[in-house]
Amino acid sequence: MADDKDVLRDVWFGRIPACFTLSPEETTEREAEPYYLLLPRVSYLTLVTDKVKKHFLKVMKAEDVEEMWFEYEGTPLKWHYPIGVLFDLHASNTALPWSVSVHFKSFPEHDLLHCTSNSVIEAHFMSSIKEADALKHKSQVINDMQKKDHKQLWMGLQNDKFDQFWAMNRKLMEYPTEEGGFRYIPFRIYQTTSDRPFIQKLFRPVSAEGHALTLGDLLKELCPASICAEDEPKRFQVMVHGIEPLLETPVQWLSEHLSHPDNFLHISVIPAPSD
Amino acid sequence: MIMDALQRARNSEVKQSETWKRHIIRQLRHRNRTQTSVFQDIIESYHSLLEKSKQRAFITKGILGSGSRPSSVPSSEDSLTSLKTTTGELAYQVVELQQRLQMKDVTLDEQHTKAREASIHKELQMAASKNVNINEESGNVSPSEPSSPKSETAETVKRSHGALFRSASATSPRIISSIRGLFERKVRGKSVCRSEEDLFIPLGVCLVARVPTKAIYTLDAHELGINAVRFSTSSNLLATGGTDRVIKLWDIEAGTLQNRGTLDGSNEGITSIEFDPTGTRILAASYDKSALFWRLEDSVPKVTLTGHSRKVTAAKFKYSQRQVVTGSADRTVKIWDLQRAACIQTIEVLSFCSDVVCSEYLIISSHYDRKIRFWDSRAATCTQEVPLQGIGTSLDLCPNHRQLLSCSRDDILQLVDLRKSNDRVAFRAEGFKCGSDSTKAIFSPDGSFLAAGSADGAVYIWNVNTGNLEKRLPDMHSAPISAVAWSLSGEYVVSVDKSRRAVLWSDI
Repeated sequence: MADDKDVLRDVWFGRIPACFTLSPEETTEREAEPYYLLLPRVSYLTLVTDKVKKHFLKVMKAEDVEEMWFEYEGTPLKWHYPIGVLFDLHASNTALPWSVSVHFKSFPEHDLLHCTSNSVIEAHFMSSIKEADALKHKSQVINDMQKKDHKQLWMGLQNDKFDQFWAMNRKLMEYPTEEGGFRYIPFRIYQTTSDRPFIQKLFRPVSAEGHALTLGDLLKELCPASICAEDEPKRFQVMVHGIEPLLETPVQWLSEHLSHPDNFLHISVIPAPSD
Repeated sequence: MIMDALQRARNSEVKQSETWKRHIIRQLRHRNRTQTSVFQDIIESYHSLLEKSKQRAFITKGILGSGSRPSSVPSSEDSLTSLKTTTGELAYQVVELQQRLQMKDVTLDEQHTKAREASIHKELQMAASKNVNINEESGNVSPSEPSSPKSETAETVKRSHGALFRSASATSPRIISSIRGLFERKVRGKSVCRSEEDLFIPLGVCLVARVPTKAIYTLDAHELGINAVRFSTSSNLLATGGTDRVIKLWDIEAGTLQNRGTLDGSNEGITSIEFDPTGTRILAASYDKSALFWRLEDSVPKVTLTGHSRKVTAAKFKYSQRQVVTGSADRTVKIWDLQRAACIQTIEVLSFCSDVVCSEYLIISSHYDRKIRFWDSRAATCTQEVPLQGIGTSLDLCPNHRQLLSCSRDDILQLVDLRKSNDRVAFRAEGFKCGSDSTKAIFSPDGSFLAAGSADGAVYIWNVNTGNLEKRLPDMHSAPISAVAWSLSGEYVVSVDKSRRAVLWSDI
């Protein structure tokens, strides 16, 4: 069980080194230097990049500045995905630090959502939690909480306070013992190779016979292409929080320990690197 | 067999769970090592270097960029603000020192008075001892002529002693009977229940006072500042008086104040006004060292009481209407017979008297030396002193005469229970400041509220039972309020200020 707590801590405090460079399309008064930052995996881009904005505003004229947005190798980065997911999905096998380009104009309306203030991020975060609890507990636990408890979850994420966050979040990770797990597992499977943004379906953690289902069972049912037979060379990597869990890991345990703070298990399926 | 199989299955499950869990833990550690730890130190050093270079750039900009101007401008601004603060502090010290000087002057005066009093007492004792010899001529009664405030007392002493001597030439029984007659006369003169019609008859009783909420009428009621305002004891007739030397009478008609007449006869400003219990007679105290008495139907005073040597600050009817008590800045309280317009008694009260109230047997006065003094009028002695934190500016008795309200310059209203005077309650409010040495605070006619006007031009009303501020009525006065009055019906409050404005408040 102490191991479990260590896992929670490692998940929460995961960091990605990033290098922010101003896009060459932006007009500047002086040459802009790149800005390095350690990004938390579990947070969101617009929540943690205030310093990046300040750094680049120093070299730009005020009238050239609109809403800041990020892009990696031509792909606009959706701020409403957790940073770890974006990295695992787009850049997980590339050289570190992660090079992100910063833009201040030509906001891509079709690809990205606007994020005008932190309350937008808070609303998105809280709605993810509520959706996850609807799947896990038919929304009973989240509705029993008071408004200040909801606020505590958000403040815990915003201020990087592990204990404050988990004091409330553990309630969302409980389940009646007779059930053996949540009602459904909240998860999303992301793939760069598909048109759909992600796969999200109803999936019970315990089979009809009472066995605990595994990650392999989940993938076999919902994304069979990601799993291949043992003799074939691996075509895809299944990444959660930058690691590849074994396919026999119970999906209930994964949901309790390897979910993001928004209570979803974000799974990235990426092409395996060909060395 | 089945048990073994189950156990084996369970064991393998346990081992299995450990496998995948250990795998995850290992993987996480590996990830942290490769992705985070190697970069953490570098990025932290990078950030601190960035901070340092930013600070250096800022400093260099300050030195080079805008030249000497930015550095000199803040310094001159700094010196300006520091000069302003020093001037402010000095001004504050000046005010403080002036106040201390005033207080020292007051104590000095009191000590002079005490010294004089002591010397006069000594002289009186000498005179008394001398007068034991009855056979002496009446001419040698008063061996010395003391200074003016005591002259009256000395004269009365002379007169009474003279009466004694005239009959002393006869035989002893006559002496004894005349002495008895003297005392009897004295007793009768000062007895309270003399005859029915002289008893204090409250003609109206207020059942409930209503706290006003808004101003319904304002007007500049006089030519100059207004010092006193009082409602009649029997109707909603209002009297105001001030620096322009006249008393004006007003009726409340349809929410406005209508002038009903003017009473003149004072040679200088009016300091206080009181109605008699029937509401048909008015008594006023004036700066011209006299108190004046009018019947409402006359515009000229019926009686003028002169004798004080400085301004009279208060004039009140005593329990029996035939007498008036006045308090004055000449450090005396005088009791007058109204019919004869003569002073019956003078009480040395040791300090500038700002207000006087009378109850059955008590005369209560407030003073500049921060005390309230209780006087037994028959013996002319001070029975009690209640200290205040600031100079006392006014007094008021509640309708059942059980409580005394005092207002003092330390912005506190104090309620003293007359039956047990250690029972004292203080009333304060934020923003309430006593505007002058004669600011007046009053009870509501049912005794459940206190009202006073503040230097900030607002009327403050406190609830006696809760001790809290009940209402604050601001924005109608632009000068400190000098006095307030509450109608007997409980529904109107009038406040007057030093800039001659009167405001009528009500809750409808």
